[in-house]
Amino acid sequence: MSGDGPELLEAEDLSKSFGGLRAVDRLSFAVDEGEILGLLGPNGSGKTTVFNLIAGALPADRGRVRFSGRDITREPPSFRTRLGIARTFQLVRPLPNLTALDNVLVARLYGRGRSTALRTARDESLDLLSLFGLSQKATTSAHALTLAERKRLEIARALAARPQLLLLDEPLGGLTTTEVSAALAQFRRIQAEGITLVIVEHNVHAVRSLCDRVIVLNSGRLIAEGRPAEVLSRSEVIEVYLGKASRAALQ
Amino acid sequence: MRRQVVAVSLIALALVFLPALAPRDNVLNWVFLALLYGALAQSWNLLGGFGGQVNLGHAAFFGLGSLVTRTLWLNQVPLPLALVAGTAAATAMGVIIGAPSLRLRGPYFAIGTLAVAEILRITTANALPEVSFLPTTYLAGYRLLPRYYLALGLVSAVTFVAWWLTRSRFGYGLAAVREDADVAEAIGVHAFSHKLLAFVLSSLFAGMAGGLFAYYHVSYYLQFPFNPIWTFDALLITFLGGAGTVWGPLVGAGFFLLLRETLALRLVELHLLIFGIVFVLVVLVFPGGFVAAWRALATRSERSLQ
Amino acid sequence: MSSILLQNAIFGLLVGGLYGLGAVGLSLVFGVLKMLNVAHGELIMLGGYVSVWLFTLWRVDPFVSILAGGPALFLVGAVLYQALFRRLIHFHEEHKIKNSILIGFGLALILQTVAILVWEADERAVTPSYAGSVFALGGVVVPLSRFAALLLSFAALGGLHLFLTRTRYGTAIRATAQDEQAAALSGIPTGTIYLVAFALGSALAGVAGALVSVSDAISPAIGLNWTLKALIVVVLGGMGNIFGTFIAGLFLGVAESLSGFLLGNVYREVVGLALFLIVLSLRPQGLFARG
Repeated sequence: MSGDGPELLEAEDLSKSFGGLRAVDRLSFAVDEGEILGLLGPNGSGKTTVFNLIAGALPADRGRVRFSGRDITREPPSFRTRLGIARTFQLVRPLPNLTALDNVLVARLYGRGRSTALRTARDESLDLLSLFGLSQKATTSAHALTLAERKRLEIARALAARPQLLLLDEPLGGLTTTEVSAALAQFRRIQAEGITLVIVEHNVHAVRSLCDRVIVLNSGRLIAEGRPAEVLSRSEVIEVYLGKASRAALQ
Repeated sequence: MRRQVVAVSLIALALVFLPALAPRDNVLNWVFLALLYGALAQSWNLLGGFGGQVNLGHAAFFGLGSLVTRTLWLNQVPLPLALVAGTAAATAMGVIIGAPSLRLRGPYFAIGTLAVAEILRITTANALPEVSFLPTTYLAGYRLLPRYYLALGLVSAVTFVAWWLTRSRFGYGLAAVREDADVAEAIGVHAFSHKLLAFVLSSLFAGMAGGLFAYYHVSYYLQFPFNPIWTFDALLITFLGGAGTVWGPLVGAGFFLLLRETLALRLVELHLLIFGIVFVLVVLVFPGGFVAAWRALATRSERSLQ
Repeated sequence: MSSILLQNAIFGLLVGGLYGLGAVGLSLVFGVLKMLNVAHGELIMLGGYVSVWLFTLWRVDPFVSILAGGPALFLVGAVLYQALFRRLIHFHEEHKIKNSILIGFGLALILQTVAILVWEADERAVTPSYAGSVFALGGVVVPLSRFAALLLSFAALGGLHLFLTRTRYGTAIRATAQDEQAAALSGIPTGTIYLVAFALGSALAGVAGALVSVSDAISPAIGLNWTLKALIVVVLGGMGNIFGTFIAGLFLGVAESLSGFLLGNVYREVVGLALFLIVLSLRPQGLFARG
């Protein structure tokens, strides 16, 4: 099922329904330590639901989630974050009336390997903000930031929790071309620091250049898995994921 | 920052020495009431302002604190012990009511707490319909001074907790929960336990304020402290002054009582109309209340000076 | 014994019809706007005063006053929405609910105080010639005016149902309640729909208030109690579920009346609230909601 490294996260037989709709249907996959895994699929194929099941925002109907060998299926999201799973949201969700600094600071105070001393945590948070080019905005309320700034803040906040596994939900949506290449470089730096990434993204070029491996979902089921260039050229993937019309654009 | 410390210390000193300076008891009495309302509002602020959870049943904790304290005190239990028991009862009820109600989302938390408080009020009114009078032996020794200092101590304690919320790990976690509980969870904050601790702290100080009320009043209906008016006044005062700020409830309480005193002489209801209008304006236009308005003014004038 | 029980149940049903109608407007507004207007009881109080006023000035029959109370409160609702609640429409759901509760709370204070300033604090009653008349129905005594009020509550509810299912506006309101974004995408002017829904909810409070005035005295202080009853009923019936709300109203009326008879009158209120808390903790989607 998986690539080369040791498994960091294991999803086994995961299912989740909303009313009559099966959003995730008996899905099994693994994430290897240190890789960047792309999670692909058409709209409504269950990608965000998978994120919510891994992060604990939704309870699974059946199946289990293991992280570093530990069963976390029944643990609340905050506990999973403290174990080392951090996430961003598809529509950015800053804590609107807190400053950019305080957004990051809370994660620093509560995340994995947290600093409980306020002063240390604040210094570390300021370092993170400057890493993401947000030093000037430290005392600005999060709701007053631009979309690009909020997206960077969201990733800075997730990193402040010192994750081993970072889940990025459409981190490139709404960004300009220059912002996209800056973000991709940023993700590679994050990987270089030993953090494993799972990323949901529609930008095919970005997925191709960034991901070590991709898995493709359709109607909550896994339909393909492998290296991005290889998977994206399979005809069944192209048809399901992009529709026939896009085949030309992709090749 | 330093200017603020100086101002607060000066006001605190003035309050400590007020009994020696104030020529008449009615001044002291007025300040006592402001402190009592300030303490109750500040206790609401711990959960409602800092935690963002609108508790409409705050009167239940004020009422229970007063009922237990009064009953024990009038049955020869020493006052400090009676106060501790009243506070403990309110705190225990905070745990009992907080745990199930804080799991409710949307409007249900507000309605649920209101319903709990109404049940307690009606039950008390049915079971203990009588007026509680201080016996003559107690009346003979009645002094305002100890009540005043107790109120001052209470306000200081609950305000200290509010101040602690602005600069502690727990306070940051609670602020995250107020802003967005899902995001708070995603960055490691256990939302429920933060809300619950804030609820328990809030009911603890409400119960203590209730005990003070029981110690202060010569005669009242035992059901009166359970009246929803205590919740509503606390909420009103907190928002007028500034919900989620350290000094808001105290500023609000001063304003509330000042306006009530001045207007009550002329027209009984006018102050309520003004409170209602100002309150709606604060919620819609100036969510930070007086304190935020003052800060905005201060920074603006500083900028124009430079 | 059984006929006394039946008598109490019937009386509860008559009161419950008013609970239901009083709550339907609140439920409609919550279903469409996701706002909880806790000044709803004050709107019922205003509706009652419309009827009291018309009766004292011109001896207008309280049942006729509905025709004035409904439209008058429709206007009041429209103004309140435009001036206050409209500003919350783009908030996130959780913040929208919280702020609507706060605004409703301030509004309740304002309306109550205005009512005291205009009409003074004492109770006012409407006393038409048929006020005390009753009729017997198989050994059960039925107060005539309360019975007529129940029939009119049914009529108002039926009218609301027809409006929501048979008219373009009604369909648009239901579509907006289902999915605001989809409704907006299909060309429904959701801004107008919100205004109409809020005004309609207020108009229902106005009608309920006029019907309350037929059998109960009106005073500025009755608002809180009616809000509380409406909230209980709305939760029992399932937020936003209009028929469930009305049935829950009848149910609460009967439950209160029977428990008042069996346990003693002082506990009738407590029974309603306790019922409410039990439902809230076990079945927060309401007794009559699907799923």
